[in-house]
Amino acid sequence: MGVAVPVGLLALWEVLARLAVVSPRYFPPPSRVATALVDGFSEGDLAGETLVTLTRLGLAFALAAAPAVPLGLLMGMLRPVRAVVEPYIAVLFPVPKIALLPFLLIVLGVGEPAFVLTGAISAFFQIAISTLAGVQTMDPRLLEVGRNYGAQGARLFTRVILPAALPAIFTGLRLGLGLALVAIVAVEFIAARSGLGHLVYRHWQTLSTPQMYSAFALVGALGLLLTRGLGALQARTLVWQQDPGRL
Amino acid sequence: MSRGRARHWLAVASPVALLIAWEAAAAAGLLREAFFPRPSIVLRHLRALVADGTLLANLLPTLARMAWAFALAAGLGVAVGLAMGVWRRLRESLDSVFAVVFPIPSVLFLPLVSFVVPRGETALVVTTALTSFFLIALTTADGVRQIDPLVIEAARHYGARGRRLFTAVLLPGALPFIFTGLRLGLGYALIVAVAVEIVGATRGLGALLWLSWQVLKVEDMYATFAVIAALGGVLSYGLAALRARLLPWAQDVAER
Amino acid sequence: MKVEVDDVTVAFEGHGRSVVALDRISLRVAAGEFVCLVGPSGSGKSTLLRVVAGLLRQTSGAVRIEASRPGAPLTAMVFQEHALLPWRTVLANVAFGPENRGVPRAAREARAREMLALVGLARFAHHYPHQLSGGMKQRVGIARALANDPEVLLMDEPFAALDAQTRTIMQEELLRIWATLGTTVIYVTHSLEEALLLGDRVVLMTARPGRVSQVFPVELGRPRGLEIRGSPAYGVLLEKIWSQLREEVVRAMDEDRGA
Repeated sequence: MGVAVPVGLLALWEVLARLAVVSPRYFPPPSRVATALVDGFSEGDLAGETLVTLTRLGLAFALAAAPAVPLGLLMGMLRPVRAVVEPYIAVLFPVPKIALLPFLLIVLGVGEPAFVLTGAISAFFQIAISTLAGVQTMDPRLLEVGRNYGAQGARLFTRVILPAALPAIFTGLRLGLGLALVAIVAVEFIAARSGLGHLVYRHWQTLSTPQMYSAFALVGALGLLLTRGLGALQARTLVWQQDPGRL
Repeated sequence: MSRGRARHWLAVASPVALLIAWEAAAAAGLLREAFFPRPSIVLRHLRALVADGTLLANLLPTLARMAWAFALAAGLGVAVGLAMGVWRRLRESLDSVFAVVFPIPSVLFLPLVSFVVPRGETALVVTTALTSFFLIALTTADGVRQIDPLVIEAARHYGARGRRLFTAVLLPGALPFIFTGLRLGLGYALIVAVAVEIVGATRGLGALLWLSWQVLKVEDMYATFAVIAALGGVLSYGLAALRARLLPWAQDVAER
Repeated sequence: MKVEVDDVTVAFEGHGRSVVALDRISLRVAAGEFVCLVGPSGSGKSTLLRVVAGLLRQTSGAVRIEASRPGAPLTAMVFQEHALLPWRTVLANVAFGPENRGVPRAAREARAREMLALVGLARFAHHYPHQLSGGMKQRVGIARALANDPEVLLMDEPFAALDAQTRTIMQEELLRIWATLGTTVIYVTHSLEEALLLGDRVVLMTARPGRVSQVFPVELGRPRGLEIRGSPAYGVLLEKIWSQLREEVVRAMDEDRGA
C-alpha cells in the first residue's frame, strides 16, 4: 500500500508524458529520467557531485553536533547557562538560515567554509534545542531515584541524565541532519558551482530536464535514506525506547 | 519568583550586553568594520532604508508572497491533513510520497513549479507554499491520530457520529496540533520566501539581502537581516500568544 | 427485567487464534437495582459492560434493555479515566449527550446545570476539565451520564484512579444520587469492599474464559455507609466472596505457569 501510490503516480506520469498529454520537454517520462540517472553515474559527473554534497553534509553535521549536544546538555542542567544562551537561540532559530549565507560569504569568502558553515548553523540550533528539551522533559523522579541510589555528580550525569536525554538527542541529530542537507543543497543551488543542488540549477538553466530531475530525485533519496537510516540506528541502539518516533 | 525575574532580566541583558560589546570592540578597532559594522551604524542605515522607501518596497512583496503562500498551504494542508487523519488508507499512501518529497529543499522545486504554473510571481508563491503545506498536512494528521481513543469512544457512546463526531471531537481534538502546524508553516513561509527571493526575485527582503551582498553594502545587509529576524520573531511569538487566547483548554499542553 | 443478558459470547481474533473473553454469559438486572461485577483481571467484566453499552458487538447471544420512555438512550457509561472532552467546558461536556440528540440549547443546558448541582459542581460549570481535580472530573463524568437520562447507568471502575479518601467520598455521593434518582446501575470494580458497600448483588466472574462464577446477594440493608464495615454480616460475606475469588485467582495463576 505504501509503495503502490508512488509507483502508480510514476506510471501515470510515464503514460501521460509518452502520450504527450504533459509536455515531455518539461516533464520527461520517468524512464528517461532513470536513464539519465544511470548515465550520469556511469559516464557523467553524478557520482562526483553526490560525493561533493555528501562531504559538505558530513562536515556540516559534525561541526554542528560537536558543540550543540554539549551546549544543549549544559543548558538543561545549569539554569544560568540557559538564561544567557536562550535569548540568542530564540532570536536566531526562526531566522531563515539561508539569510546567513551572505554574511558567511563576506567574512569567509565564496568557498567551502561558507557553504559548510551555513549547513552547520542550520543543524546546530535544532540539535541544541532537542537536547535541551530532552533534559528538561525527563521525569524528575528519575533524578530522585538516581540520587537516592547513590548516583552523584558525574555518575548522575552519565548514568541518569544522559541516557534519559538520549532519545531526544537522537531526534535532534536526525532533524539536524535533514536541515543540514536542505541548507547545503539550497546553498549549492544559489551560490556554489558544484554539488547536487548546483546540478539542478545548471540543468534548469539549460533545460536539460532529464538530468535536472535525476539530480532532484537523488536529493530526495539522499534525504530519505539519511533520516530513515538514523531512525533505524536509533531503534537499534535505544532498544529500551518504546516509540522512536517517525520521520 | 525572584529567580524567574532574574532570568527574564538576563534574557534581555545578555543580548544588550553583546550589542554594547560589539559596538565597543568595533570602535576600538578590534573588529573589522568592513565585515562587522557597528550596531549604531547599522541602525543608521536601517533608518535610511526606511526613509527612502527601499525597505517598504521590499518588505511588502515578501509579506504578500508569504500571505498568499500561507493561505494556500493552510487551506490545502489542513484539509489534506484532516482527510489523512480520518482515512487510514489515504494516510498510508500519502505518507510515503511525503517522506520522499519533504526532505528536498523547497528552492529546488522552483524549476519544477515554474514548468507548471506561470513563471514569476505565481511560481514564487507556489514554491513558498510547498514546505508549509507538507508541515501543516502532516501535523494535522498527527493531531487527529493523537486524540485519546477513549475520548472518541466516549463521544461515540454519547451519540456523536459522522459529521458531529468530526466537528465536536476530531476537529477540536486536533486543533492544538493544527495550530502548531500553522505556526511552523508560517515560519517556513518566511524562510522559504527569503530563499526563493534570493534565487528568483528582484524585489523582496531576500532579494534585497542578496543584492546588498553582491554590491557589498554590508551595512544594508545587516539592516535587512535584522528586519528578517524581527519578522521571524514576531511571527513565532505573536502566534504563540494568539494560541493561548484561542485555545485556553490547551494552555497546559502548550507550556509544558 | 430491566436488563437481560442471554448467552453472550465475545471472542477476539488475533494472531491467528481466537481468545474467548466472555463465554456464554447470562445476567438479569431488575429495574432500580445496583449490580456490581467483580473478578480477577481478564475476567471480562469491562468487556461485558461494553457489550451492554453497545460499544462492543457480541459474537453471539443477545442483550435486551427494557425501554420505559421512548427516545431516551438505553445506556450511559461513566468511563474509568473520565474521558471528558478536554476542549469543552464542564457544562458543555455534561450537555454533550443531549446535544447529540438534538435537544435545544436552553433545555440541555438547564438539564446539565441540574445534574451539575446534583453532583455538587454547579460553581464549576465554566471550568475546563484540566482545571479540576481527579474526583471533580469523575463527578463531571457522572453528571454527563445522568444528563443523558439513560435507562441503565454503566460504570467502569469509575473511582479506581482516585485516592482512598476521595474514593470514599465519591462512593457515598454515588449512593446518595442513586437513592435520589433510582436508576438501574451496573458497576464494574476490582474492589470487593466497594462492591459490598454499593451493590444489591455482587456478580463474581472468572477469568479465561470469562464466566459468572457465583452471584452473591448483599443483604446489608440501606442506606449504607462506611460503618457497615464493622458489622458481622459484612465480614462473613466478604470472607465468603474472597475465598471464592482466591480460588479463581490461584487457578488462573496455575494455568499461567502451566502454559
